[in-house]
Formats: sequence, structure tokens, C-alpha cells
Amino acid sequence: MKRLAVLVRTALRVNFCLSVLRPRELLKKRKDFWMVPLIGLGLLGLIPVLIYFLKGLRWIFNLLAPLGQQAAVLTFGLLAGQFLILVFGFYYVLSAFYFSRDLPLLVSLPVTPTQVLLSKFTVILVNEWVTAAPLVLPVLIQYGLLARSGPRYWIEAVFIYLLLPVIPLAVVALLAVGLMRVVNVGRKKDFLIVAGSLALLAAAMGGQFWLSRSMNGSFDAQAVIRVFAAPDGLVQKIGARFPPSVWATRALAFGFRGEGPAGLLLYLSLSLGLFAAILAAGKRFFYRGLIGLSERIGPRKELSRGDLERGVDGGLRPARAVFRRELRIMNRTPIFLLNGVLSALLLPIVFILMGKFDTGTGSDSARLLGGLISSKPMVAVFASALFLTMCASLNGTASSAFSREGAQFWMSKVIPVAPRIQVRGKFLHALAIAALGLAAAAAAGGFVFAIRPLYLAAALALAVPATFLLTAVGMMIDLARPLLVWTNPQKAIKQNFNVLLALFADAGILFGGYRLVKLLAGTGLRTKAVILCVGAVFGILAAVSYVLLGAYAERRYRAIES
Amino acid sequence: MIDIRGVSKSYAKGKVKAVDDLTLTVRPGEIFGFLGPNGAGKTTTIKLIVGLLRPDAGTITVAGWDNQREALKAKAVTTYVPDTPEIYERLTGLEYLNFIGDVYGVPKAARLERIRKWLDVFELSPAVSSPIQSYSHGMKQKIVLIAALLPTPQVMVLDEPMVGLDARAAHHMKEMMREHCDRGGTLFFSTHIMEVAERLCDRIGIIHKGRLIAGGTMAELRAAASTQAVDAAGTSLESIFLELTDK
Repeated sequence: MKRLAVLVRTALRVNFCLSVLRPRELLKKRKDFWMVPLIGLGLLGLIPVLIYFLKGLRWIFNLLAPLGQQAAVLTFGLLAGQFLILVFGFYYVLSAFYFSRDLPLLVSLPVTPTQVLLSKFTVILVNEWVTAAPLVLPVLIQYGLLARSGPRYWIEAVFIYLLLPVIPLAVVALLAVGLMRVVNVGRKKDFLIVAGSLALLAAAMGGQFWLSRSMNGSFDAQAVIRVFAAPDGLVQKIGARFPPSVWATRALAFGFRGEGPAGLLLYLSLSLGLFAAILAAGKRFFYRGLIGLSERIGPRKELSRGDLERGVDGGLRPARAVFRRELRIMNRTPIFLLNGVLSALLLPIVFILMGKFDTGTGSDSARLLGGLISSKPMVAVFASALFLTMCASLNGTASSAFSREGAQFWMSKVIPVAPRIQVRGKFLHALAIAALGLAAAAAAGGFVFAIRPLYLAAALALAVPATFLLTAVGMMIDLARPLLVWTNPQKAIKQNFNVLLALFADAGILFGGYRLVKLLAGTGLRTKAVILCVGAVFGILAAVSYVLLGAYAERRYRAIES
Repeated sequence: MIDIRGVSKSYAKGKVKAVDDLTLTVRPGEIFGFLGPNGAGKTTTIKLIVGLLRPDAGTITVAGWDNQREALKAKAVTTYVPDTPEIYERLTGLEYLNFIGDVYGVPKAARLERIRKWLDVFELSPAVSSPIQSYSHGMKQKIVLIAALLPTPQVMVLDEPMVGLDARAAHHMKEMMREHCDRGGTLFFSTHIMEVAERLCDRIGIIHKGRLIAGGTMAELRAAASTQAVDAAGTSLESIFLELTDK
């Protein structure tokens, strides 16, 4: 037990950099003061989102309360949280269990496989509490306030929130441990991550289509009456495919009355049961799969003289060389590839597939929405521009551009290439990924939402400078505090606070853009003039931010010590 | 070629003085061995020379260029091999060498000739098309060394370059170091292997607790050593080192 405690403490220290991070000193240093306006900008963008989320929850609660179905709000929150954990958990589990650099050291220590696995699992659990917080906590808090719940609810809510990640994490952990044991993936570990992620994504989308079709199919008038007639009919309907969310809802909503205790007991039993299964699987299979990973890649192929001659380049300009290095490293590191390229394409692809395969109400709604939007040119252009910009920028490529170099950053410091030029290579790379997102989002806009080509072209003209701006801002954030010490590539992009900070900043900038549009529209300017003004503002800001990025890089590359 | 003047560097807000008022000069054509116990300030000094760290005080010039104010010019004539070969593991060896060739502006013909030569010398040809992540520690060390040799720099700065190398590679490496300096280049390296330093270096510096406590040729170090350090075989560098760093 003592050894496990030491392992867990060390794993948490490593994961959250607790040994080097001293929060009390964070804002004592003058060099960190820049974070204050940035966090302010982020809050400016986030607070409206949070307010709308809370308002939406209250609206749904008040709508459902007269029907006695208000507990469905909880089911929705818990289900969404657990689904989020399931998706993110897959990466966390694979990275922590099989791809951390500290594993060779841990394997050689006099600790059991179960203890190593448990220490890793605890770190993932803590990460998931943070990941799920923005989605689930507002739901739990808003429900508790609106239902005027007593202390029992709040204590139980904390308890249920702490257990929330266990079930989905246990499912993916068991899957990962089993897969690594059964399949000989020693030589194909990168392939495993990409294939596994795509399979998970396909399964999630397939499940969503299946769910939406089965819901549509059964939602005739009689079915609706049946759902609302039962005391927790809507709860059951929402959580039908994932009963633990129903049990947790019952435990929270009913307390010690009715089906509350049974719900709590079932939720607890399944969580503990799956946890025990992880322990058992860890004991039997964890090290066997892990040791298979250290197998070396097969025999090497020697290059002939001709091959070598062809392989040696004629000489690229430094910015292009940096661009090519970034491209290769990102494309060959599965975690980077998935969080960079796939993130940029994900949302548009989901919409396109919905348009292609979903002949039900989902697709019709999208076209209806598109039709409605297209009837108002200003809304059509700016809503499309927002969608394009988000698809292009909401991946972590720019905001992890320097962190991804990690311990190899020393090379960027010693090569005789001006930081301004190196940053140009990185900027072009981030833009290339953004361009993929832009293209896919434009295709989705035209194909699924049937936005008119002219409006799409105008939206693109707005989204391009906005993307330039957000890319430069994201890079500046990462440059200001690059995370260069990590043992697992996940830390550099997915668990990098800079990526989150950049999202805050992006939200703030886009909110600022929205206010500008509203302001200009309020003056009575014609649509074309508003588009031109906003485009010009973003164009100027993009140019200024790029120049600032170059100047900032010259300063920061000298200051960052590695 | 390398001129360090009154350089100091401390960590933890000045509580830990890693390098304390260091002054030394390494001349063209010279192999300079830098010795010291663990934590004495060797790696810090090396990182200061190549610009990975900024000095708190003092100046460093490399081939006449101030490495802070004219950093790019200083970097263009210097290559560096770190103590741990942390390099782009997702690139193949050849892609990494091409990257180094690109950023140092090595033309294709020269690049091909040098890559071929050093791959043969270090017996790395069979692995050069494989990703670096599949290399052993020694192979990584070799590819970093080849990368450092590719631009034919005026100044080479190597931090414990022998670690991880097999006997044959270490032998070639020593030959390469001598050739480099015979052509007029300068080589600054740190090591813990006294025999290598004694046989290979034109001059040696010993750093202890951040201060240079001895420096000069082997003859000068012997002359400066106390009688206690004299053993049956004369005064070995090891004896001198142990005596000086024991204080």
C-alpha cells in the first residue's frame, strides 16, 4: 500500500509538474503578468458561453418540471460527461499505460504490475475530473440550485462526480489491456493508436446515427405520451443505451426515496466491479502487453549508393526545412496527428457524413437551418465564417507548436537560423492544417447546410484572416510558456494548458468579432460594407499579429533556456 | 577561437552558482578538455558557449562573434553534441542529416560526400533510412556526431561525446577530433575519462564548484601539482584531478 501511495504521488507530481510549479510564485514574476489580460480575454469569451449554458439548463428544467421529468437534465449531463470521458479516455489510457517514457523504469522497480497500472489509472482519473468539469459541474450545480436540494444531494453529487470517470475509463482500459495482450502490436503501436481512434470515432458516429434513427422511429405521439407518463420516463429514454447514467440520476434526484438507493447501489457496484476487473486484468495481462512493445522493429534495410544519392537533398531554405520537419514529426506521431489533423477535419466530416447517410430529420434540419440562414445574407456569411474559423483553428497545432519540440528544443536554439524564420516554418505548418479544416468546413457548409457559394466565398474571405490571427495568437501563447518537459506526447498537445488558454483567447477574439458585427450592423451599414469592415479589421489584426509573433520569437528564443 | 570572459551563471534565483567568474581561452587548432566532478559546472559552461543558456555576467565570443549579440554568426561556425542525444526520433537518420544540412546551408555535393564518409566511418549506413526512435543510445550518439561534422564547423563543442560509443567508434571519434584541429578547427569537450583527456588534449581545464581551479597543458598541470600527486608513473592527470577536487 505504501509503495502504491509513493507511485501515485510520483505519477501525479510528474503529470502535473508539481515539483517545478509553484502556483504562489506564478504571478509574482513580472514576466507572467501578460497572462492576466489573456485570462481576462478568455473569460470574456467563456463567460457568455457558460451563462447561455446555465440559462439553457434552467429553461429545460423549468420546461420539464411541470411534467415531473426535470431529472432528465441530470441524465443528460452525466451521460454527456461519461461519453466525453470515453472518447478522451482512450488516448489517455493508451498513452499512460503503454507509451509513457517512464515505463521502462517502472517495470524494473520492485512493484507489482497492478500497482503500476493503478498509479497510471489514478493520473488519468484526475485528468478526467478536469476534462469533464466544464460540462458536468454546471449541470450538477444548476440542478441542485433549481431543485432546492439539501445537503444530501450535494454530498452525493460530489461522490457521483468523483466516480463518474470510473465506468467509461474501466471500459477503455480493459479494452486496451486486452488488445495489447492479444494482438502482437509491438511493431505497430503507432498504427494501433490511429486505427483505434478511428474505430472509436466510427463506433461513436455509428452509435449516434443508430440512436437518432431508433429515437426518430419510436417517437410517435403514443410513445411521447408513454415517456412522459412514467415518473422518470424521459430519464430512461435518454439513458436507455447507458443505464449507469440513469442509476446515478435516480440516486441524485430521489435520494433515499423510491428508486434512489437502488440506483446508488447499482452505480457503486458497477463502478467497483469494473475497477476490480481492471485490477485483475492488470495483474494478468498488463506487463505481458507492455513488454511486447519493447521489441525492436525488424531488420534494417541498407541504402544502396544510388538510394543515398537520391535521399540526400539539394538544400531547402531554412523556413521550408522547418516546415517539412514539423509536417513529418506531426504526421508520424499519432497523438499529434489525431489532435492536429484529425481535430481540424472532425467536425466537418461529422456534418458531411450526417448529410450523406442520415436521410432522417437530422439532415433535413441541417438543410432547413441552412435555408433559414441563407435567407439572411448577413447571418449566412458571418455564421459560415464563424463555423469555418472554428473548424480551422480549434485544433492544438498552433498552440502547441513549441511545446511539441519538448526536450529537442535545444536544436532550435543552436541552429544558425533566426527565430523569426523558424517561426515562419511553424506558422506555415499550422496554416496548412488550418487550410484542411477550412476546406472541409466549406465543403460541409455547401453540401450539408446548402449555403450559397457566394456567401461561402465571402465567409472564406473573412475566415482566412481570422484564422491567420488565431494561429498567430495561439503560437504566441505557446511561445510565452512552452511546455518542454514531458514524458508522453499527450502532455504536449492534449493536456497542454496552452491549448486551453488559446481556446479561451480564440473564444474572446471571436466574441469581440461578434460584438463588432453587431455594432456595425446597428449603425445601418449595408451587409457588404459590414463584411468589408470586419474583413479589413481582421486583416489588419492578422498582419500585426504575424509581425508581433516574429518579434516576440526573437526575444523568447533567447530567453528560453533548455 | 573561444573566449570566455568573467562568465557567471546561477540557478534558483542566485542561490546555486553553477559557473562563477569563469575566464578561459581556447585557441584555433586546439583540443581543449574540460574536466570536473559531477555538478561542477561543465555542462552549464558548454550550454553557455553554444547559447542554450544566457550568462548572468560576462561575455563569450566564438570565432570573434559575441554569442549573445551576434548569436547567428556564432552559431553558423559552431556545432554542438549534447550529453544526451535528444533528437527528432520520428525522423529517419537521413532526414535528420538533411535537416541539419539545410539549416547550415551545406550544398548537395558536399553533403553527399560527407554523409557517405561519416556513415562509413561510424558504420551507420544500414540504419540511416530507419527512424531514429529505433536506434540504440550509441547509434543516436553517432548520428548526432555525424550531424555535428556535416557543416565542417570551425568550432565543435562536445559534452561527454564518448558516452555510449563502442570502442571502434570511440577510436574513430578521437581521430576525427585530431583531424579537425589539425585543419585549424577548435574543439572544446568535456569528459570523465582521464586517459582520453591526457592523451588527446592540447590543454586541459579543471572546473570545481563553478570555478576554474587549474588550466594548461599536461606539463603545466604537472608542474603546478603538489608532491602528493606524484606517483610511481609520474604525475597522472587522475592524481592531479583527485588532489585538486578534493579540496
